[in-house]
Amino acid sequence: MADVLALIDANNFYASCEQAFDPALIGRPVVVLSNNDGCVVSRSSEARQLGIGMGKPYFQIAAQLAQHGVVVRSSNYALYGDMSQRLMSSLEPFVAELEVYSIDEAFARLPRPRHGDLSAWAAELRSRIRHNLGLPIAIGLASSKVLAKLANRIAKGDRRHAGVFDLGREANPDPWLELTPVEEIWGVGRQLGRWCRLRGIANARQLRDMASGELRAKAGVVGLRLQLELQGVSCLPLEQAPSAKRETCVSRSFSRAILSEQELRQAVATYVVRAAEKLRRQQQCSGRLTVFARTSPFSPGFYSQAASTALAVASNDTAVLLQAALPLVAVIYRPHKRFAKAGVLMQELQSQEQLQHHLLAPLPEQEQQRRAALMQSIDGLNRRYGRGTVQWAACGIAPGWMMRREQLSRAATTRLSDLPTAWAR
Amino acid sequence: MPGRPVSLLLIGSLRSQRPSLRLPLAASTVAAGFPSPADDYIDVGIDLNEALIRHPSSTFFLRVSGDSMIDAGIQHGDLLVVDRSLEPRPGLIVVAVLDGAFTLKRLVRYHGRLRLEAANSAYPPLELHQCGDVQIWGVAIHVIHALTRHG
Repeated sequence: MADVLALIDANNFYASCEQAFDPALIGRPVVVLSNNDGCVVSRSSEARQLGIGMGKPYFQIAAQLAQHGVVVRSSNYALYGDMSQRLMSSLEPFVAELEVYSIDEAFARLPRPRHGDLSAWAAELRSRIRHNLGLPIAIGLASSKVLAKLANRIAKGDRRHAGVFDLGREANPDPWLELTPVEEIWGVGRQLGRWCRLRGIANARQLRDMASGELRAKAGVVGLRLQLELQGVSCLPLEQAPSAKRETCVSRSFSRAILSEQELRQAVATYVVRAAEKLRRQQQCSGRLTVFARTSPFSPGFYSQAASTALAVASNDTAVLLQAALPLVAVIYRPHKRFAKAGVLMQELQSQEQLQHHLLAPLPEQEQQRRAALMQSIDGLNRRYGRGTVQWAACGIAPGWMMRREQLSRAATTRLSDLPTAWAR
Repeated sequence: MPGRPVSLLLIGSLRSQRPSLRLPLAASTVAAGFPSPADDYIDVGIDLNEALIRHPSSTFFLRVSGDSMIDAGIQHGDLLVVDRSLEPRPGLIVVAVLDGAFTLKRLVRYHGRLRLEAANSAYPPLELHQCGDVQIWGVAIHVIHALTRHG
């Protein structure tokens, strides 16, 4: 029998993680806010039932949330990242191949048993993840990735499916495809969605059956592949090993507008420090870096500027990257502009190993090793005792523009000082 | 602020980036003298994570607060290693969710019924059928007790 493709994802992942480590939240409505406590990015099922909308700005609904006793949390990426790794490694023994697609979803391939029925397998997987990690998951099964994603949406959409839907077992998939609006198909962007609507194509069944010549003229090979996938022909392979990143970006919105060059420097320095940390974790070095900043696009006098520089030798040493990045701040800074966001982009990434024996190395090899050890120690301290334990002075001390995370829960699975309490009383 | 030096915590001034050309000559060390008789027996050392934790993805750490498990050797401030994948069986020490908090007890079968017992006579047992909604969160597999203040 042919293989099955599965899309497995955690329901309300961020809110579920919060509930898993704070038993006071079990059964209560919980919402998690985006960076800067901006808008709602995750809702527990209890919060969903209260009719709290996804993506709603927090300040607009704060009163409504308080009135319903909704627990509000800032995004706790330390916790979600750790739980994501635990989730993915727990899925592995259940499938033949796994592609981690995002923090809370994975594609998988597994053989279909002779009798065809995977419901026992799915039930076992769901109960295992629920039991071991406290996370509810949904599983969509079909013969292609696009259909697996569509099946997952059906699994979650209707309680009667109990979190599992196997499109491959349906004698006639058409009614299910008709249930899926064209914009909700994986791979259909806003533009293609609009184009489809204009042609009267409203759902997945219609897209599957439309003349392929027309689709090809609009969306090329990508469109044809999408159509084949909808027909159940698997054309998108599983990507098991994530390809090495070619760029790394760190950017954030500020909690309030930044007017002074000094504060903009501090912000950029903070993002450089973060990006350097990421590079070291990825064992990569950056050959070029770009610094950018902009004002709010919703205010008059919109201003956006970027500046870029090449490094003599690619590096992931925070001091080297800071030295390269900070002079660029003076280039992009304009007085009287109210900066709302800034970031750094690390480009031309190369693997650290390739660089180790570079003949043009700016520092003697011994000195290089000493600096690498220093960076390692700083990363180790910050990992162990929390980010910012060892701080670069260029980042400023307790800056006022720092991301707002006022309702942050603890790093319950990754930091010794933040462990949940087991009461012996 | 052109011309103002960047001040850095912890780290000395960075050497100027002179693009010096360095040609590595003999990079490998030459073995001189006798080889260590232990060379063939080198082990990688002991990793407590590996030794104590069978299911890393479902194992979590909690901090103990209180003295109700003292007779089971679990003291206030100890580090508790909890495996959520294990089935809670009578006799095991478990983390239960009680009144919205993680509570440490021993699961015991008593006169045919399950109950949660403390390991300290000052605390009465809890009959499971009387406590309403009790969920067993995980099974405690190790306790790590520091013997010095710096442990």
